[in-house]
Formats: sequence, structure tokens, C-alpha cells
Amino acid sequence: MNVRHFAAAALVAALAVAAIGASGASGGSTANTLTVWLQVDAQSGWPEVVAAASAQFKSQNPGWDVDVQYQTWGTHLGKFDATLAGGNAPDVIEMGNTEMTKYMAAGAFQDLSGLSFPNQSTWLAGLAASGRYGGKLYGVPYYAGSRVVTYRTDLYRSAGVKIPTSLAEFTAAAKKLGARNTSKAFSPVYVAGTDWYIAMSFVYDYGGKIASTRKGKWVGQLDKPAALAGLAAYKRFFDAASRASKTTDEARPQPYDVYAQGNAASIVGPGWFSCCVGNYKAQTAQFVMPSRTKGQPLPGFLGGSDLAVPIGADRAAAAAWIGAFTDNASMTVLRAKGNIPNTTSLLGNSVNERAARRSWFVPTAKNWVNVENGNILRTMLSRILTNKMSIKDAAEVASDNIAFTLNQ
Amino acid sequence: MTVAAESSTIRSRRRPRTVRRALRGSVPYLLILPVIVVITAILGYPLYKLVTLSFQQYGLPELILRQGVWIGFDNYSSVLQDEVFWRTLLRTMIFTVANVGLTIVLGTSIAFLLVRVSTWVRVLLTAGLVLVWSMPAVVAVQVWYWMTNFQNGILNHVLTELGVGDYTQHDWYASTFSKLAMVTLLIVWGAIPFVTITVYAGLAQVPRELVQAAEIDGAGPLRVFRDVTFPILKPIFLILTSLSIIWDFGVFTQPYLLIGASHVDTTNYLMGVYVFIEGYAHSDFGRGAAISLLMLLMVAAMSVVYVRRMVKMGETR
Repeated sequence: MNVRHFAAAALVAALAVAAIGASGASGGSTANTLTVWLQVDAQSGWPEVVAAASAQFKSQNPGWDVDVQYQTWGTHLGKFDATLAGGNAPDVIEMGNTEMTKYMAAGAFQDLSGLSFPNQSTWLAGLAASGRYGGKLYGVPYYAGSRVVTYRTDLYRSAGVKIPTSLAEFTAAAKKLGARNTSKAFSPVYVAGTDWYIAMSFVYDYGGKIASTRKGKWVGQLDKPAALAGLAAYKRFFDAASRASKTTDEARPQPYDVYAQGNAASIVGPGWFSCCVGNYKAQTAQFVMPSRTKGQPLPGFLGGSDLAVPIGADRAAAAAWIGAFTDNASMTVLRAKGNIPNTTSLLGNSVNERAARRSWFVPTAKNWVNVENGNILRTMLSRILTNKMSIKDAAEVASDNIAFTLNQ
Repeated sequence: MTVAAESSTIRSRRRPRTVRRALRGSVPYLLILPVIVVITAILGYPLYKLVTLSFQQYGLPELILRQGVWIGFDNYSSVLQDEVFWRTLLRTMIFTVANVGLTIVLGTSIAFLLVRVSTWVRVLLTAGLVLVWSMPAVVAVQVWYWMTNFQNGILNHVLTELGVGDYTQHDWYASTFSKLAMVTLLIVWGAIPFVTITVYAGLAQVPRELVQAAEIDGAGPLRVFRDVTFPILKPIFLILTSLSIIWDFGVFTQPYLLIGASHVDTTNYLMGVYVFIEGYAHSDFGRGAAISLLMLLMVAAMSVVYVRRMVKMGETR
């Protein structure tokens, strides 16, 4: 009898465990706590803006609490997927603008059309476009960043190099800088070989594209003459200016680390790269990366973030917090930290903002993320730079792969 | 009446005995029941979910609705028709053979070394091996990457200083082969301690007199190993090899982190990375489930073939 009781109890317990496992932590977020997922950039860069927005939200919405959880770019989508499956997604999530389309197409976010947000009529056009899908608003623009050249004023001066206003001048300057320091570890302009954000800027500067749609299907454009010319220009520039690994990316090592070690006269990247230049703070300034057309900026990748409200969240509360977080006061602080604010009404004439005047964006296809995490562009660039394939062959392979992935 | 009453008392007297006997007979089963239930819950249920998932179209939209679409064998046929799958499979097999081979050969060699060296060297070596074994893979990858880094790696610096050649800015991750070779080095380095310590423990069981007898009969060290030591240690090698195959075939942490999320692509996928990219990165959970079940079947098949062959070899001797 005892044995049977025990067995029955064990069975019940085991089934209960299984049932809990099966149902997951369902039920959505706890009532009256707004869960917000932001990237760590906000935690390290502008925590005071986050705190101010939450305080404002709480004073206007008594009884609500805000739980801000910081995420990293590499892992936040995997975690987000898991919470979608479990039904406990956050109420507000920061999404990279290249990540939006896939989730908007899948129906992960609530439609925010009809709600009003601060500066809505003057939102940055490029960034606002990444938050719209099928005529509806799913993402509120948060902030953007352009790419600029951070350089050593002392090295430029001693090499007799002025701030270049065209790509040809920049290449000539790089050669001069390189001649003064021939160490293999030193780069006149440090660019990681597979930094596709920079390489694609050359493609767009020469009038090329990554992909475009025709009759509702995606067609790869990298194997077209304009794009090939851009890739060839990138290779010429890389060979003249950068002694970085031809196969590495812009995160290993971080360009500003190379710069801080004195191994680069200039680096290309987000404006906030000037944060981490070690002992060269006094000798560091920035300029706009020049285009092949004299006086123009090189079209830069307009990276940025949107704020979205996942399904299941309290739409009104989430929108209220987003409104507080993206108001004029917040945007003014963000701009002061070297970011591009979400509204043209606050745009000035900083290096950052001048660089953003010509920009490009990735194809807005729901599968674009798969092109990124399949590293199709990086593979192409390392093949081109290491001469494993001709520019044309490598571009054709990549172009086919991109079209295949986008049309899946 | 009396007959009926008598028979009923007989029946009622018999019944408790059969019930008790049945109860006694079922006690062992009842005792293992909790274990079976727990195993079913924590292993069987996920496996069942995985199998049903592999027959469904289950992407991001389905994940959000929490309702997949039944599509039969479509996931399997799309995987089996995918050229990337077959190339990844071949690459992973070669990779596994190389890794398991190196691990077993080097691990065994060090075990033999341990027998010969003095006590304090043995203690030192064993301590080193245990430290390697206890190092988490993620930490090991990070340290390994720092050492072999293109820009500031100590390896390039040391090789250059030693005059081996000019390794300044040498890129150890330039080609697919070199990427996978670096991963192999890291995995073999991490797996050697387990093999060494296990084989060393096994060597203690080889009777000295057998080895001595063989040596007196004129057998050299290789001959002694082939005909005396190896047959005795065969069960240990069998387990080590099977385990290593299972680990190396599905390895994920080292290749994904060392090659780097920005550099894993179809030219360097191993099965573990492939299933992660297809399933999680592309949010195609149904297809990911199909690939992992195929992997599971392959590992099971490999283990069975190998185990049976080793057992048969043992029987014919």
C-alpha cells in the first residue's frame, strides 16, 4: 500500500513537473510592471536618460513600475524568440533597424499607428522607414549613428597631410602616412577586411546596390558593373590604407583598441569611437569620410535603433514610456553624446550629422537578417581581398546567395 | 447452498493470496516507476516535441501564434536536398576523425609517459591535466583567441622573437582549413586530460608479469602494446572513442566562438553550428529539429556500428 502511495505521489509530482515544463512561464508580464529591453549602449552611454524617462512615466502613470533589462546585440533576438514562445515577451524592446523587417513581417509587434509620439512629423526619414511595414507603424525611431573617420591630428600634421575632401586625396594621404611608418602592425587607415558596412559604402558611392526587387522577387545587384566598380575601389583603398587582417571583422579587435595602441593613424566607424582612444584624446579629431566625388561624404550605413511593442504587451503603457524616452529632452542628451537624434528638428552640423547626409540602408526584406548571420557579404569580401576569387566571381556567388536567401 | 457457500469461501480465501502475489511481483516495477516517469518527462517529452516539431513548418510567425503547420516530411526532404547539408556532413566527419584520432593517440601517449616519469613530475603533469579539464570551454576559447590574435597575439610575437620567421600580423584564421585546424587544436587540448587520466588508470590494471613475460620472449615495446596492453585496455578505448565521437561530431561551443559569429558560413560549418544557424539564427525551428534528429540518428548509427565491431573483434580472439 505504501509503495503504491509513494509511486502515485511520485507520478503526480513528475507529471506536474512535465506540465510546468510544457506550459512554460506563461501568462505575460506581471500586472503593472513595464518590462523594457534596451541595449547595453544605453546602460553605458546614457543611463540618466533611461532613469528620467522611467521617472516621468511613473509619475504620469501611478501604480506602474518599470523594469529595464539590458541586452546585448549578439544574443537579444534569441532571447526574444524564447519569450515569444513562452508568452512572456517584454513590453518594449529596442531593435536594430536591420532586424525590424523580419519581426514586423512575422507579426511580432503591435500596430502603433494612430498613437502620437514626440516629434513624429520630423522623424529622420531613413530611420522611420525601418519601423513601417505594410503601411503600419511598428517601430518608433530611437536614435541613429553614422560612420566617420577618427584620426590622429599629430600624425597627419607631421606627414603633411590635410583633411581629404575626396577618396583619391584620402588614398594619397594614406600612402604618405604609411610611408612614414612601415611597421606591418601600423595602418594609416585601419579598416577590418570584412567590414561590410564600409565596403558597401563604396558600392553605393559608385551607384551600386546590394539587391533590388523586380516583379515581387529579389534580384542580387552586386554582380552589376556599378557594384563591381565599387568593390574594386574598396579593394584598392584597403590595399593602400589598411594593414588589418583581410579576413577579420570590425569587432575582433575593436578598431579603437588598435588606435589606442598607436597602431593606426585613423579608424573608420561610429562617431562614439572617439570615446576609447586611450592616451591620444588630445590628438584626436574626426572628419567625414570623403566620397569619390570631391566635397561629398561617402554614403554611410545609417545604423540605428527602433523601439517596438511586442504582442501581448500593454500597448498604451508601452507607448507612454516610449514617448517619455524619445522626447526632446532625451534626444538632446543623446545628441550631445555623439548620436544622431530621431528628429531633424534637432539636427545640427556636427561631423556625425554631416556624414549622415548621404546614407544607404540594407534591403528591407524579411530575410535580410539571414544574409547578415549567414555572413554572405563578409565571405565575399575576404575572398576578394585575399585574391582567392576574382571580384567578379566572388560578387556573383554572393549575389546569387543573397537573392536565394531573400526569396526563401 | 452449502456447496455454493463453501466454494465462495474458498474463492475469497484464494483471492487475497493472488492479489498479494501480484502485488509482490509488481514491487520492482513500482520501484523503478518514478525513475521511468522522471526520465520520460525530462528526456522523452522534449524528444517527442522535437519529433513533432520536425514535421511542422515552425518559423517566427508560428512561434508567435504558438501553432505550427503540419507539413509531413518537407523539412527532411529540403534538408536532404540541401547541398550545404551534405558538404557540412562530410566536413564534420573528417573533422571528427581527425579530432578523435589526435585526442586518443596523444592522450594515450601522455598516459604512457605518466607511467615512466618520476612521482613529482607525474603529480605536476596530473595537476596540469586536471586544470585543463576543469577549464570551461568559453573561457578557453577566449584565452586561445587572445593568444592567436592577428593584431596583438602572443603567439605571433613569440614565433617572431624566436626567429621562426616573420609572423607579425600573421592571420591564423585566414582559410577554412586554418580556422578548423585552430578549432581542432583547442578541442584536442581540452579533451586530452580525460583520455590520459582514464588510460593511465587502466594501465594500472595491466598485470606486470604479462608484460615481463612478453619482454622475456623478445617482444619490443610496440609488440607489447599491440598484443598485451591494448587487448586488456580495449574496453576502455572502446568507451573513450565512442564518447569522443559523440562529443566531437556535435561540437558547437569551440567552433562557433573561436571562428566567431561574424565568420561562420557555409564554407566552414560543422554540424553543431549548422543546426544552430538553420534553427535559431534563421528562426526555422522545424527545419532545425529535422537536422538535429538526423544528427541524432547518425551518432546512434555510428556508435552501434562501432560498438558491434569492437565486440565481434573481441569474440574472435
